Amino acid sequence: MKPGPPLERVMRRLAETPDDFLAEPRIDHAGELVTAALVGDLFHALGHAPTTQDVLPADLRDRNRMQLTAVVVWLLADDWVATAAPDRAALAALLGDRIAQLAATGRVDQFIGDVDRREELARTLILTLGLVPAGESEAQAADRLSAVSVVERRRLLRASQQAEERARAVREALIRKAAEESADKYTRE
Amino acid sequence: MTEPNDVDRYPTLSDAGRAMLTRMTEHPAAPAYRNRSGNRLLAEDMSGLAAFEAETLAAPIGWRPGRPPAWIGPFVAETYAKVPHFRARGAPPRRLADVPTTARSDLARDIAAFVPDDVPVDRLINFRTTGTTGHPLLIASHPVVAARYLAFHKRALARFGITLRASAGDVGVVLLGHQKRCFTYVSVTPTMGEAGLAKINLHPDDWRDPDDRARYLDALDPEVIAGDPISFASLLALPVTIRPRALLSVAMMLTDGSRDRLEARFGCPVLDLYSMNEVGPLAVADRTAGGRVLLQPNLYVEIVDSVGRALPHGERGEVCVTGGFNFCLPLVRYRTGDTARLAMAGDVPMLVDFSGRRAVRFRTADGAWVNNIDVSHALAGLSAAQFALHQGADGAFVLALSPEALDDAPMASAALARLLGDVPIRIEPIASEDKVLQYSSDLAGSTAE
Repeated sequence: MKPGPPLERVMRRLAETPDDFLAEPRIDHAGELVTAALVGDLFHALGHAPTTQDVLPADLRDRNRMQLTAVVVWLLADDWVATAAPDRAALAALLGDRIAQLAATGRVDQFIGDVDRREELARTLILTLGLVPAGESEAQAADRLSAVSVVERRRLLRASQQAEERARAVREALIRKAAEESADKYTRE
Repeated sequence: MTEPNDVDRYPTLSDAGRAMLTRMTEHPAAPAYRNRSGNRLLAEDMSGLAAFEAETLAAPIGWRPGRPPAWIGPFVAETYAKVPHFRARGAPPRRLADVPTTARSDLARDIAAFVPDDVPVDRLINFRTTGTTGHPLLIASHPVVAARYLAFHKRALARFGITLRASAGDVGVVLLGHQKRCFTYVSVTPTMGEAGLAKINLHPDDWRDPDDRARYLDALDPEVIAGDPISFASLLALPVTIRPRALLSVAMMLTDGSRDRLEARFGCPVLDLYSMNEVGPLAVADRTAGGRVLLQPNLYVEIVDSVGRALPHGERGEVCVTGGFNFCLPLVRYRTGDTARLAMAGDVPMLVDFSGRRAVRFRTADGAWVNNIDVSHALAGLSAAQFALHQGADGAFVLALSPEALDDAPMASAALARLLGDVPIRIEPIASEDKVLQYSSDLAGSTAE
C-alpha cells in the first residue's frame, strides 16, 4: 500500500465539513442536496465516467447514508485525492458498500463531532482507497482501524441492549397504572 | 403488584383535605363513586408547579406564524438526542421544515419509543384516548404534567377576566360526564389549598335518586364546572341554583347556540377549550378575537398540507405542533388531525376556521364542493349539544341531532338547503351517548388527501 495523507489532515477536514454538505438530502420532493449529482461530479473531477447508479441505488431513501455520502464527497474533494488518483472500483467501493455499512452504525453528526468516529471514518476512507495514513505501516493502520471499530461495535451493542431494556421498562410502567387510575386534570379530554 | 392506596393517590393529604374527600363522598345526595384516583403529587413537586404556573401566566406566545422561535432548534436537537423514535432518524435537520411529521399512528405503534431516556419510569402514568376515529392510544404522562393543565386553564380564564379563588374548604371543580359508564372519583388539588375535585356522571343510573344530581351540585357549589356539550346539555335540564364562575368545555365542538344558553343560564363565561391528550390545552375560543387563541408559550404551531409541508401563512390545513409541556412526550411536528388556519389576535396567534378533525368537503346539488367549515357556520345557531352530518355515496345527507334538539330540525334543514341546494336531507336523533364523528362522507374526493 502506498502512503496516503496524514490522518490528522483528513480528520481536520472532516471536523470542518461546510454546512452546504450537511443540507437536507433530496428524498422524493423534500430536501435540496442531490447526493447522486455530488457523487457524479466527484467521479467526473477524478477522471471517471460520472454515471453512479452502481454506487448509489436510484431508489435510495436512507437519509443518514445520503448525508454521510455527501460528507465523504467533501473529504475526497481534496488535493491529495487528485494526486493519489484512485481508480473507479476503489471509489465505488468506498462510496457504495463501505459508507452504507458505516451509516448503519451511526449518525452523520457523530462521525463529525465524535473523535473516535471521526478517526474511524478517516481511516476507513484512506484504507478503502488502498492507502495507509502517512507515517504508519500497513499493520499499524489495520490494527488501529480495527481497534476503533471494535470499541464502536461494543458501544453500539451495549446501547442497543440498554435501549431494549429501557423500552420494556417504560411499557411495563405505563401498563401498570390502570387505564384511568392516573392523576387529576382540571378537564378531561 | 400492589394496588394503589390513598398514600399513592394523595401523598400530601392533610386532615382538611381528608375532610373534603369525606364531604364529597358522604354527602346524603352523593352519587355512587365507582373509581379511585388522585393527584399523586409529592411535596417536592409544589415549588416547580408554582414556578410553571407563574411563567405560563406571564409568558407571551412569542412567535408569529411561519417564523419558528429561537427555542425550536435546541428543542429539536435535544429531542433527537434523547428520544428513541427520533434518534433512529439520524441527525436532526437544521430547519424545522425539513423534519418529518409524526402522527397519532406513530404514537400508537410504540408509545415507549417517544418517552425521553431521562424520564424516570417510577412515576409514569398514562392517559387513554380514543378520539372519534382512531384506535385507543396510551399517552405517557406524569402527575406533574396532569397538574400543569391548571396553569393553562388559568391563562384561558384570565383572558375572560377570571382569577380562580377556590382554596381550603371549597370545591374547585366538578368534572361532568353523561355516559352509561363513566370513570368517577373524588380528589383534592394541592396547588389550590386542597380544594375539592369531583368527577361525576349525570347519567341517572349513577344516583340513588335522579333528583340528587341537582341537590349534590348545589351542595358542592363548585367554582368551575368542566364538561363537554353533552354533559352540559344534561346540566341545563337540572334545577340547579349554583353560580359557577366559569364553565370549561372540552372534547367536542360547542355550538354558539349551546354556549349562549349556558352563559344565559349560569351567568358566567363558557370557555370552549381546544384540548387533546397528546398536547393538553392548546387554545381557547374567543368570539371577540374571532378564533381560538393559543395558550401554550412553549408550543409552536404550523399549518401543514397532506404530506407535511408547512403551508403559507393564511392557508387552511392540518394543525401541526412542536414543543409542549409534557416532558414524557415531547412533540416534534405532531399532526393533530384537526384543521384550521393561523391568524393573529393582537400579539397572540390564533386558530381560525377550526374544525376538530381533518377537513371534509360536501357536494352540493349543483356539483360544487363546500367545506365542512361552511356547514359549521350554517349551523352555528343550533342549540343542539352536538350534531353530525354525513353524506352518502348517492349524495344524500343525514343530519344527526342530539335528541333534545330535534325541535331545531326545520331550522337546520333550511340552513343546510341554503348552503347545499336541493339535496335530500334526512334528520335523525343521535343514538349513542358518546362522541360522534362530526363530519363524514362516502363520496370520493370528500377529503383533501
